[in-house]
Amino acid sequence: MYRRALTWLLRQTLKLDVSINRVYPTDWNPLYYTGGLSHFFLFVLVISGILLLFYYVASLDGAYASVRYLTEQVPYGFILRGIHRYAADGFIIAVLLHLFRNWFTDRYLFARDGPWISGMFLLILGGFIGINGYQMVWDQRAQAITEIFVAILQSIPLAGAALVRLFLGSEGISGAMLPRILFLHVGTASFLYMLLWWHYVRIRHPKIWPPATWVLALLGLVILLSALPGTRPTAGAAAQPGVPVTSYPLDVFFLLPFWLVSYLPPIVVGVGLTVLLLLGYVIPYLQREEEPQMGVRHAGIAQVIDGNCTGCELCYYDCPYDAIVMVPSPHPGLTKAAANRKLLAAVMDSRCVECGICIGACPFEALELPKFLEADLTRRIAEAIQAQPATA
Amino acid sequence: MKVIGFVCDWAVSTEALLDAQGRLLAHPSVHVVRIPCSGFMRPDWLEESLRAGADGTFVTGCPYGDCLNREGNYLMRDRVEQLARRLQRRRVDPARVAMFAHGLHDRQAFLEEVGAFLRRLESLPQPAAPAARPAVRAAAPEASE
Repeated sequence: MYRRALTWLLRQTLKLDVSINRVYPTDWNPLYYTGGLSHFFLFVLVISGILLLFYYVASLDGAYASVRYLTEQVPYGFILRGIHRYAADGFIIAVLLHLFRNWFTDRYLFARDGPWISGMFLLILGGFIGINGYQMVWDQRAQAITEIFVAILQSIPLAGAALVRLFLGSEGISGAMLPRILFLHVGTASFLYMLLWWHYVRIRHPKIWPPATWVLALLGLVILLSALPGTRPTAGAAAQPGVPVTSYPLDVFFLLPFWLVSYLPPIVVGVGLTVLLLLGYVIPYLQREEEPQMGVRHAGIAQVIDGNCTGCELCYYDCPYDAIVMVPSPHPGLTKAAANRKLLAAVMDSRCVECGICIGACPFEALELPKFLEADLTRRIAEAIQAQPATA
Repeated sequence: MKVIGFVCDWAVSTEALLDAQGRLLAHPSVHVVRIPCSGFMRPDWLEESLRAGADGTFVTGCPYGDCLNREGNYLMRDRVEQLARRLQRRRVDPARVAMFAHGLHDRQAFLEEVGAFLRRLESLPQPAAPAARPAVRAAAPEASE
């Protein structure tokens, strides 16, 4: 069931690609740069966030006034605020596209679970930062979000009350809260970059920036959305703790769980969200195909043939996953190649995805995939040559 | 005419296109060999296929920018270009080697490009036997029928 659904989704994803590639050259297909787009939006968020920090006052009385001052008094302040807000939406859209695309196209197999797991952490923390961002404004929406979030925390058995205290800084909403939220917003955002290091660590030449056309177009779109009268960010009504909030504008990309709370008890929403996110961590370990079905796709971890390796580093430069390291050649060696080399290639099993790119890079026949040897390939070439000529 | 096509297992799906011997139904002179990634091909093996008697050979990877293994198709494109220069030095027409990029469901585009490649091979002059000891033997005339 899961496998058939994924196969269908893979088909649809690639069909979408084909239709996009009819419009753009493949180098510009935005779906080939979902990771780069996320990183671009994160960069915009950091820059605009630093500028917003100059105006923000993290206190119950000052927060709303400072945001309102920025929006209404500072020249182009609403654009600055809008950039931060719409880039955050763009970030979540790009991250979700990145997640689903890599899921549907099988890009998490074998040693590629590291980027997947770090990506799940990035997604969860990204969503958390976004919710914090809405709290910082401290208008009616912020109040509603805080109350619902506290209700979800409270519904956790045993630890609930302690977590609420930790989050708010006191028993109820007080002046201790907003400085904490400011730290959670900025500190967690800085932590994203440590996770990004983990996300990129095994990837050689990661595509972290989309083509210039898309950078300019998306930057223009974000600025347009923040400047147009209909979509520009406005100051809502100020929060009044104690007075229940009846309605607030909803941002579907961050606040969907909060909308659900109006229909379901907080514990159900909390548990549902947790289960959903935990399932995300399991995805790389559910394989779509059984081992025998995978055939050449699962050809085994590349092996270095010691006697043939000359230490030329070509495989080291070509491996897209940094799975090959050059180590000092350990002994004089029995072959001519081994005697004259300074370095020896070594494959790190935990990083190899069995693609065989190093085999193509090696002109000295010093690498092999154990289940698809050079001998297998040359035999197939010979079979193809010897096969009866076709009727044509 | 005999052509060997090395097709990445993640790129264009050829299951519906092949007969029992692994030949393309639409172009029976083309034998398809599935490989783990287009970057798996060592350029030597393309040269070896020509030496063994193939009239042409090509590699098919995923669309550029969308290689499942991130860079395999770009690397292979570069290697095929480098191989072309090497073949020229050995008096083999580099037009006999090609690199294609087609996604899983681009069967029609793949077949069209293979057809164009076959027409290109037909229009090439028969390789002349070089006077000196050949680095790469030209295809034997009887094998080319």
